[in-house]
Amino acid sequence: MVIAATVMQKQNAETTQIGGTGQQSLEDARELSGSQILCEALVREGVELLYGYPGGAIMPFYDALTGYPTLRHVLVRHEQAAAHAADGYARATGKVGVCVATSGPGATNLVTGLATAYMDSTPIVAITGQVARPFIGRDAFQETDVIGVTQPITKHNFLVRKIEDLADTVREAFKLALGGRPGPVLIDVPKDIQLSKTQYSPSASVNSRECYRVTRTPEVSTAAIAQAAKLINKAECPIIMSGHGVILSKAYDELRAFAEKTNIPVITTLLGLSALPDSHPLNIGMPGMHGPAHVNKAIGTADVLIGVGLRFDDRVTGKVSEFAPHARIIHIDIDPSEMHKVKVATVPIVADAKDALAALTMAVNPADHRSWINEIRSWETRNAELASNVKRDQQYPDPTSILEAIRAETNGEAIIVTDVGQHQMWTARHYTWSRPNSHITSGGLGTMGFALPAAMGVKMGIPDTPVWVVAGDGGIQMNIQELATLQQQGVTIKVAIMNNGYLGMVRQWQQFFHSRNYSETPITGPDYVKLADAYGLTGMCITRREDVSAAVHRAMETEGTVIIDFVIESESNVYPMVAPGSAITNMIEEHVEENTSHD
Amino acid sequence: MTRHAAPPGRAGQENASQDGSRAHILVLFANDSHGMLDRIVGVLRRRRSNMQTFAIGRSELPNVVRITVVMHDSEVGVEQLVEQLRKIVDVRHVVNLSSEQAVARELALIKVNSTAAQQNEIIELGHLFGAHALDVNQETVTLEVTGSADKIEKLVTLLQTYGIREVARSGCVAMIRGTSEVYE
Repeated sequence: MVIAATVMQKQNAETTQIGGTGQQSLEDARELSGSQILCEALVREGVELLYGYPGGAIMPFYDALTGYPTLRHVLVRHEQAAAHAADGYARATGKVGVCVATSGPGATNLVTGLATAYMDSTPIVAITGQVARPFIGRDAFQETDVIGVTQPITKHNFLVRKIEDLADTVREAFKLALGGRPGPVLIDVPKDIQLSKTQYSPSASVNSRECYRVTRTPEVSTAAIAQAAKLINKAECPIIMSGHGVILSKAYDELRAFAEKTNIPVITTLLGLSALPDSHPLNIGMPGMHGPAHVNKAIGTADVLIGVGLRFDDRVTGKVSEFAPHARIIHIDIDPSEMHKVKVATVPIVADAKDALAALTMAVNPADHRSWINEIRSWETRNAELASNVKRDQQYPDPTSILEAIRAETNGEAIIVTDVGQHQMWTARHYTWSRPNSHITSGGLGTMGFALPAAMGVKMGIPDTPVWVVAGDGGIQMNIQELATLQQQGVTIKVAIMNNGYLGMVRQWQQFFHSRNYSETPITGPDYVKLADAYGLTGMCITRREDVSAAVHRAMETEGTVIIDFVIESESNVYPMVAPGSAITNMIEEHVEENTSHD
Repeated sequence: MTRHAAPPGRAGQENASQDGSRAHILVLFANDSHGMLDRIVGVLRRRRSNMQTFAIGRSELPNVVRITVVMHDSEVGVEQLVEQLRKIVDVRHVVNLSSEQAVARELALIKVNSTAAQQNEIIELGHLFGAHALDVNQETVTLEVTGSADKIEKLVTLLQTYGIREVARSGCVAMIRGTSEVYE
C-alpha cells in the first residue's frame, strides 16, 4: 500500500518555521513538521514514556514534544541511563522502551545501553538527532556516524533520508524491535528533516517492505517435535534448561506444564531465573560458572538436555567439549542462527518458546523421574552440609541476610534489579524467586552501572510493584547521577549497596588466578547517607548484621527513594566457581578453598 | 584476503567438526538500501570470514542487488554464517551454492609489458584462454579474460614472463546450472 504522505505534494520541504504546539486531532492529511510526525508516530505506537536528553540536533523534536502531553519524557542525567531505563522498562513490561539523544556525544553515550539490550534481546527504540543533511559527512559540530557506530549492536538502524519516510520508519522500527527475537533499533533523524514540513495522514498504512523474516514467529515443526518427544520419552536422566526466551515469550505456564507432565528437573539460566518459582520441587537451580555444584553435575550426567530460549553462553557451558558430554540436545530458540552455534543440537527446533513447549507437552508421554531427581537432591544436600561447615563471619551484614530481609519485607513481590559482579551472583543464587520476571540484570554484556537507571525504567513501567536495586559499590557509582532523575521524577525505588570496598568480582579473580595481586580493585566511595541527603533522598549505612532487617523495613516504610549502604565483609567470595575455560563440573568449592588457601 | 588458509578456530564450536573446509559460494539478494552493505560486511568481518572475492551488482529484480561471496570455511561455520546473514533486515535471500551446482565466472583485465615484437605472441597466448586484447600500444598489451578463478590464475602465471603491470579482477559471480533459479 502506498502511504498518503508519499503521494501528497511535498511542500515547504526546507522550511525552518515550526511551533511547539502540535495538535493531536486525527483529521486527515495535515501539514506537520518532521518533529511532529515523529511524535504522532510514537503516540500511534502506544508510547507513553521516553527517556532522553536534549541537544542541538534533536531540539526541534523537543520543541514539538510539548504539544503531545501523553508522551511523558524523563530527563535523565546521562544518555547511557536513558538507554538502560528504556531497557528496564521493556524487560518489565514486554513493551518497547524508547530513548532519545542528540547527535554526536548524545548518540555515542547510548552505545553501551544499546549493546546491553542487543546482548539480552530486549526491545528498545533509540531516536537520535543528526546534523542537517547537507552537513552529514563533513565533520560538522557534534556529528558522528551513529549508523556506522551502532550497526553491530542494533538489530537494525535507519538514517531517515526524507521526511516522507519518517512515519513508516517509526512503525517499522517498533515492529522490528519487538518481532521475532527482540532487540534494539535506532532511528537517526537529521535536524533539517525534523524542521521541514509535509502533509501527514495518520491513517496511512505502513510496511513497505515485505521481507521481515526477523519479525516472524516461525511455525513449530511437527516433525521436530515428534523427534524431540521420542528422545524425551526414552530419556533416563533428562534436564530442562530454561533461558531468557521463556521469559520473553511469557511461557511460564507452558514451562511448568511441560516439566510437570514429564517430571523433568528444570535449570534456569541467569536471565531465565524466576520463570519457574524456586519453591517448585522440579526447579533445581542455576547452571554455569557460579551455579551450585549439583546443577552442573546434573548437566554432566544428563542423557537428554532440552534447552529452551537460550544460547549456551560461555558462562553457562564452561569448556564446551565437556558441557553435557553424555546428552543429546534438543534446542528450542526463535533465532535460527543460534542452532549449532555452540553445541550441535540433535533436534533443533526454531520456534517461540511458548509454542514449542505447548507442542512438546502435547507430544510427550507422562513420566516419573523420581530416582533421577532424588539423586540430584542428594548431591545438593551433601554440598549444603559441606558448605555449612565453613566458618563464617557473623558480624557484618551478609548478602544472604540482606536478600532474605528484602524478600520478607516485600512478600516476594518485588522486582529485583541487579548490577554486575559478586552481588549479582549472590542475588541470583540466594534470593528466593517466586514472581515470574522478577529478576532483571544485564546478563550477556555484563554492564556495570545498569541497575540504577534500569530500575527506574522498571518502576515507571509497573508503578505498583516495589522495585529494589541490589548493586555493588563499584557499579552503583557508574550511573549514580540518576539519583537526581529519580528525585526530580518522584520515582521511588529502594537501593541496597553491597559495599565491600573492592571491585569484588575482579578481586576474587585476582585472588584465585592472579596470586592475590589486587591491582586497582580497592575502591572508595562517597558517604552514601550524605549523598542521598544531597540529592534530597534518604540514606542509611548498616554495619552490623542484626540491623539488616530493621533497615530494610525502614526503607520500605520511608517515602521516596532510599539508599542503604550495607558494609559487608571485604573479601567474601562467590562460591562455587568454575574457572573460565574449565569444565563446569570442575568447581572451586568454598569448603575446600576457605579452609586451605587463606593465608 | 588470504587464500586457502584453515578457518580460524572459533570459540564454542569445539565440538563441531572443523574439518572439510572448502570453498563456498554464497549468493545474497539484498535491498539496495542505505547501510545494507556495511551490515553484510560487518557480519563477515566479525566472524573473521576467510573471504576470497566479493562481487556486487544489480539483479533481475528492481532495487535488489545480487552479491556473490567466495569464502573458505567449514560446513558448520558456513551454515551459521548463512543464518546470521539472513537476520540482516535488508537481506532478502541467501543461498550457499556448492561448486558442483554452480557455474562460476570471473573477469580479469591484465596489463602486460610488451615490446612490439612480443605483441602477437601475447595475444596468441591470450587466445588459448579465450582472452582478447582490449588495448595494444608500444609498451603494453591489455587482455580481457573471463573464466574460473583457476583459469585466470593460470593465464596470469604464464604472462609473468613478460612482466605484469596490473591485474584487475571482478571477483566471482555464479548461477545454478540448469533451469532453476537461485531466488525462487
